Amino acid sequence: MRFDPFYLNSAVASLDQTSASEQQLTNEISSGTRVNSLGDDPVAVGENVLLSSQLNLDDSFSQTESSTVGALQVTDSTLGSVVSQLTQALTLATEGNNGTLNANDLQSISTQIAGIRDEVLSLANTTYMNRYIFSGSQGGTAPYTLNSAVTPNTATYNGDAVTSYITTPGGQKIQSNVPGNQIFSDPTNDVLQMLNNLVADFSTGTASASAISDTTALNSALNYVGQQRVVIDNSITQLQAAQSYTQTQGTQITSAQTNLMQADVAQVSTQLSTAETQQAALTQVVNILEKNNGDLFSLL
Amino acid sequence: MATLNTALSIATGALDADQAALNVIANNTANANTPGYTNQLPEWQANDPVTIDGTSYGQGVTMTGPSSQRDLVLEQRIQQQMQLQQGSDARQAALESVQNIFSSATSASSSTSSLDIGTSISGFFSALSQLQSNPADNSLRQSVLNAATTLVTSFQSASSQLTQEQGSLDQQSATIVTQVNSLTRAIAQLNGQISQTSGSKDAGQLEDQRQYDIQQLSQLVGIHQITTEDNSLTITTSSGALLVSKDQAFSLSTSVSGGVTHISDYQGNDVTTSLAGGGGQLGGILTVRDQDIPQMQSALDTLAFDLGTAVNTANEAGSDANGAAGGPIFNLPGTAAGSASSISVAITNPAQIAAAATGNGSSDDTNLESMLQLQNQGIIGGTTPSSYYSSFTSALGSLVSQVSTENTAQQASLTQLQTQRDSLSAVNLNDEAAALENLQQAYQAASKVFTILDTVMASAINLGVETTVA
Repeated sequence: MRFDPFYLNSAVASLDQTSASEQQLTNEISSGTRVNSLGDDPVAVGENVLLSSQLNLDDSFSQTESSTVGALQVTDSTLGSVVSQLTQALTLATEGNNGTLNANDLQSISTQIAGIRDEVLSLANTTYMNRYIFSGSQGGTAPYTLNSAVTPNTATYNGDAVTSYITTPGGQKIQSNVPGNQIFSDPTNDVLQMLNNLVADFSTGTASASAISDTTALNSALNYVGQQRVVIDNSITQLQAAQSYTQTQGTQITSAQTNLMQADVAQVSTQLSTAETQQAALTQVVNILEKNNGDLFSLL
Repeated sequence: MATLNTALSIATGALDADQAALNVIANNTANANTPGYTNQLPEWQANDPVTIDGTSYGQGVTMTGPSSQRDLVLEQRIQQQMQLQQGSDARQAALESVQNIFSSATSASSSTSSLDIGTSISGFFSALSQLQSNPADNSLRQSVLNAATTLVTSFQSASSQLTQEQGSLDQQSATIVTQVNSLTRAIAQLNGQISQTSGSKDAGQLEDQRQYDIQQLSQLVGIHQITTEDNSLTITTSSGALLVSKDQAFSLSTSVSGGVTHISDYQGNDVTTSLAGGGGQLGGILTVRDQDIPQMQSALDTLAFDLGTAVNTANEAGSDANGAAGGPIFNLPGTAAGSASSISVAITNPAQIAAAATGNGSSDDTNLESMLQLQNQGIIGGTTPSSYYSSFTSALGSLVSQVSTENTAQQASLTQLQTQRDSLSAVNLNDEAAALENLQQAYQAASKVFTILDTVMASAINLGVETTVA
């Protein structure tokens, strides 16, 4: 019977193969990574690229979210101050309208309301990180300027009506600002105009005929500001929900990536142990073959 | 009537034959580990008998020469399998070094390599997304610009690394052509010697050398061989370009055109493309150089071009921080070809990022929003930028793994064929030892016969008196 006289070479080649596989397994255990090159598991690699990209976006959304929420919280607390200022103005105007005050008192009310108007105006011109938060898209421009040359004074809106949105990684659009003309100078609920009117109404020392209707209008404007504040609060809630969702998703992605790319140590150890057994057996075979290498020549 | 002289001459002939056979065995044993050596068997032939008065008398034995234990069909199968195996082996090796360029796609963390294309794409969109929180902020705008620079650098770096791989494969191909030419010259020379010395018979060790050279040649390039009448071989490339005919070798030549080595046959026809599909190391290398890498380059070009164009179009639709109409963010060539290597950032001033819709102020992010949405749109041939890159890495990985599987299968088949060949043609030392033992005994027997015949002859000459002639 014929056989390959170089069979020892095949045994050694098999020995090389188990050594190579041991090396690969050791590498997986020491690096902790199952996939070390694209060819190891092409599907996992493709998946990994997508997961990494998603994770990257989630991370950056977290930062966007926290700085946007910061701006919205400033907006919210500014509006809180506006509401309390307006409540105070309302009290003063109601007091001025009850017909019991003298001219001096009425002029003092006018001055106090003017002070409130200035305060509201400056609140409307609030900035956050060098950006006017109530001027729509014109963040570099102060939204309101006061013209005190006319009576009643007028406030001019210099911003625009642009509303901005933040998009979550899930594609949800969340409003991130309310332009000033929807809060302070809405055509039907013009806060600043009402304040200016009341200042003029009481400035002469006699409550003017329109003082009562202006007070009523200020009251409805106050309610309107409250409604706009709800929009901001909603955005804050939505952003925080999106943030928490994004973080949960980030955790899931990280764990998915771990499952996908990391070596299963128990499995790899088992494979390594199998490879070692095979290696030991082959070494034994080669050893025996070499000892018995006495072919017939050694008997001649 | 047979004579004592005849018997003596038979014994002498047997001694000669045994000596010649021992020579063959010694030669086998000496060449037991010579690559390409084929085991030789002594051929014995009984001499023609002589018929005298109607009786046949045997005339002893002649060793008619060693014959090589060779199966040419098997040799050819090995050579063909070797062309396949070497082709996929060279392709695998080249692709493995190509896949390393994109190996950061295997890292689980998104921030390991700043020059990974996938990470750079999501980095660019991340920077845009962060700019949303305060579109007028100059430092956020600057980081968009930085992310854009990282993105183009990743494209350029991947593209230039691919080009470098291509260049080194190009050099290898030129070296292989030189080796092919020296082997074909050696084969042509052997063809000449074989047809002069052995006619139509197996040419023994010359044939060993020729087969060995063809095997070497098969490692390098895909070939066909045709045996011609005077026992010489005509060798062509697998696509038919003549390499060897009789004792003449026809060299392949290389020329550089467009920065790429082209290979021509002796008539000056460009055979580069057909060699790429022909197998052997040259086939594998040319396949990667001319098909695999250009495919990857073109995929990267498409990605860079379509992404850059979409971002440019989006930026051009808005107004920048100063209220001016936005311009392109990326410089791109007119068509996709070469985009990955030549893409660059067109703007230097972060204010030029057009975050606002036309006419809106600098705090507006309407246009930024539509730019950001590009990451979820099928702007690269119907898929999003990230999934396009993901498919790209998957496809490259699959190619490597497929070629590697192919190679393993071909290697296994080659090993089987070689085992088959070795069990037929390799020197089996046990057989040689046994033959040696046999021949020793045959020689001893023949010499004994000679001694006895000598004694008998002396008796005959001395007519029974023992002392005169010993």
